[in-house]
Amino acid sequence: MIGTMREAAQNLQNAFVREWKKDGGKTVGYSCTFIPEEIIHAAGLLPFRLRGIGTTSMSIGDSYFGAVNCSLPKCILQLAGQGSYTFLDGAIITNGCDSMRRLEECWRKASEDHRGTLPEYYEYFSVPHKSVDYSVEFYEEELRNMVGTLERHFRCTVSEQSLKKSISLYNKGRTLLQKLDELRFGRDVPISGEDAMAVLIAAHAMPQERFIEMLEGVIEGLGKAPSVSGGKKRLMLMGSASDDMDFIHVIEEAGAIVVADTVCYGSRTYSALVDEESDPLHALSSHYLKHSICPRMLGYYRTRLSYVMDLIRKARVDGVILQNVRFCDLHGSENGIFERDLEAAGIPCMRLEREYGPLTETGRISMRIDAFMERISTHCSSIGETTSDAARTRQQTI
Amino acid sequence: MKRETREYNLDWMLWSSVVSGSKVMDGTDKEYQALLRLIPNFRGIIDTILRQGEPGRLFMKMGAEYLDDIKAVHEKGKKLCFGTFVASKDLFYAFDNVVPAWAEILTVFATMMMRKGTAEYMDYCCEAGFTETSCSAQRGSVGAYLAGLAEKPDFLVCGAPGICDTNANAMQFMSEYLDIPLFQLTFPSNLTGRRITDYQRKDYRALIAFVEEHAGSRLDEDRLRSVLAEHRRQDEIINEIFDLTRLKPCPMPPIFNLFLYAGRLQSSGRKSLTALLESMLRVVRENAKAGRAGTVSGRERARLLMCYIDHYTTDGRFWQWVDSQDISLLPTLIFTFFNRGINYAEERQDQTYEIDTSTMDAMIDSLADINSRMPMVKQLRGPYDAAGMWREDLFCMTRLMKPDFAVYLGSMGCRNSYGVNKLIQRDAERFGLPTLLLFADAFDDRVASWEFCVEKISEFMHVRGIVS
Repeated sequence: MIGTMREAAQNLQNAFVREWKKDGGKTVGYSCTFIPEEIIHAAGLLPFRLRGIGTTSMSIGDSYFGAVNCSLPKCILQLAGQGSYTFLDGAIITNGCDSMRRLEECWRKASEDHRGTLPEYYEYFSVPHKSVDYSVEFYEEELRNMVGTLERHFRCTVSEQSLKKSISLYNKGRTLLQKLDELRFGRDVPISGEDAMAVLIAAHAMPQERFIEMLEGVIEGLGKAPSVSGGKKRLMLMGSASDDMDFIHVIEEAGAIVVADTVCYGSRTYSALVDEESDPLHALSSHYLKHSICPRMLGYYRTRLSYVMDLIRKARVDGVILQNVRFCDLHGSENGIFERDLEAAGIPCMRLEREYGPLTETGRISMRIDAFMERISTHCSSIGETTSDAARTRQQTI
Repeated sequence: MKRETREYNLDWMLWSSVVSGSKVMDGTDKEYQALLRLIPNFRGIIDTILRQGEPGRLFMKMGAEYLDDIKAVHEKGKKLCFGTFVASKDLFYAFDNVVPAWAEILTVFATMMMRKGTAEYMDYCCEAGFTETSCSAQRGSVGAYLAGLAEKPDFLVCGAPGICDTNANAMQFMSEYLDIPLFQLTFPSNLTGRRITDYQRKDYRALIAFVEEHAGSRLDEDRLRSVLAEHRRQDEIINEIFDLTRLKPCPMPPIFNLFLYAGRLQSSGRKSLTALLESMLRVVRENAKAGRAGTVSGRERARLLMCYIDHYTTDGRFWQWVDSQDISLLPTLIFTFFNRGINYAEERQDQTYEIDTSTMDAMIDSLADINSRMPMVKQLRGPYDAAGMWREDLFCMTRLMKPDFAVYLGSMGCRNSYGVNKLIQRDAERFGLPTLLLFADAFDDRVASWEFCVEKISEFMHVRGIVS
């Protein structure tokens, strides 16, 4: 089952997408966790998270983006420009961060040179940067507009009922992912971080119904599976977007197991459920703005720190890798503060800057991780259980 | 950071230099020439400013007033509000116990007056945990604050979320690093429309509540009315200056462009800016009447539009070079303001702000509208080719001011403009405006030297036949 999910995670137009398209289904790509998949799903469309995997050149990405932009949107643009996203019937780009929001124009302009590479439905979507009442209201109105454009373009109806149904379905997926986390957080971990990442990515690359069906099987299987964590250090991955299973592989090859993460494409989307009782658009607006741990929501560092500390305790993390894609200042700089506060709480951290895309710097990353492993091998075995009293006091203070 | 850099606080050094610089013309010319020899690292920029006569002296005095407030803020029992340039100053000048200090303004002062620019402060930010790819405009001064080499701010205000991540990020980092309360004004991607205006006005009222809480005082209605009235007068003068700037040759001296936006960013609503603008207008009028260009030689070889920001290299060599080449400097695009009546907003009045001083509510709405049209806040919030955004502003300015060429210059931290500057260049060229993208950093010579920039601009001017 996990093999099938890996296939879905490693290929853009995977078997599930092909099957969906074969039956005449429409697919809408989206760039960021701030786009409620529930809405796209309720419109009878397949939401598909845009990614930049498998790029072998940056010739198109670099032609439109500048030299100091992050490689994630550049890789997505590269794929778009070379026609790898022509299976999409629509795409929604948000102002997730400054580089990512410029993907909207770069893709649009690139399509003037690379004809036929822009989906017919193509929208820019503005998401507020704070989660106060008036921004939730504003976002709700934006969501209403999104519903309107989807309905008009795809000649469909997004009813309150269909939205509620989609919310309930996605909540089921979230609940199952929380169960998967419980397994990962246990003393004996039945799934490698690499495989867990495959599951998390697959959640946004196939129909949710199929995903839930498969995840139920995976969780059942893992309940009886042997531990793969024996003698390994338990790491948590934080920072910039990461959907590269090879990257996790490199980390785990050094004798570690990744038991938790807070990254985009990873575990960022399911820590809380959407309220199923209130007005669906209001519930979505409130959920997506108030439960995000993305640093684009400026001014909420303390909330994120508290979330991270809680996760570290639950997952018995021995060390944290704070990585950022070069030119990702949102994560890069916040990693600096996280490093200060987590180290003060007795949690070893390693900061790592890298590029998104094909893992061309495995040697350097391996060496850094080896060094980190060496450091934490002399550290206490698990923060959650055996940290010194002093460290525990600091954690409580934070 | 070197020990000698730690010896004096950044705010004190800037204050000391600018206050002294503002007095050098008070003596005889002989004394002035002798003084210039004593300030080898920034005599060029001081001389370039003071050579302008009365406007130069007023500009220096305005800077001295600003820096004196910052340096002595706690001594005078006031609160220091630190922020970034995208937040309008008017609000803060309407509190009698708040002094606003903006990161970029301090960075520019330091870049122009210190021998090695702000390199050590920038690097200190990285030591503290910032990414090295963050914007140098903030790092240049924030580093000093992180290192404790300036008066510690009492609260922080940032108006960049939705406009510039690295700018907003700098304030968030500073807030957490120094444990200082922070308020962030946020902006939707659109500029106009009821919903957008309402959002911005609500957000602005939340800012006022924050400032009142941390300043421990209430926003004073009479004082605010007086600040806004002054602002309105300033807008009227600027409108006339920009109308005259359209003339060929351009009667505005190149460095007046800096005076205009620096003045607005640092002293909007203050009488010192009004005095400066009145003096500038007299010079521009005289030049226009005489049919002279504003350059030292009185000639105009080319008209340059900086389509993003200017270059703040040590000793302000950018303005010296432009003037020496008889190049007229048109209003720097991202430092444009959108008051009602400004010529580049003609036929786009919905994108402008209007000042209404009739009631407290009307004034607060005006403040919110001013702020949502601040440089960068206005043009960079949405897709570059959407209504009211960067491309439209560039084209409108080009039609009006008739530049011979445009140059893009930003910073290495500028994801937002780098994300589309190639698209802007392509569109501008198709529009008929020769456009050069300079890969350099406006606040950090280490990325590319000023000599490199001059060579590239000169080469471009020759290759494109702008000058022979």
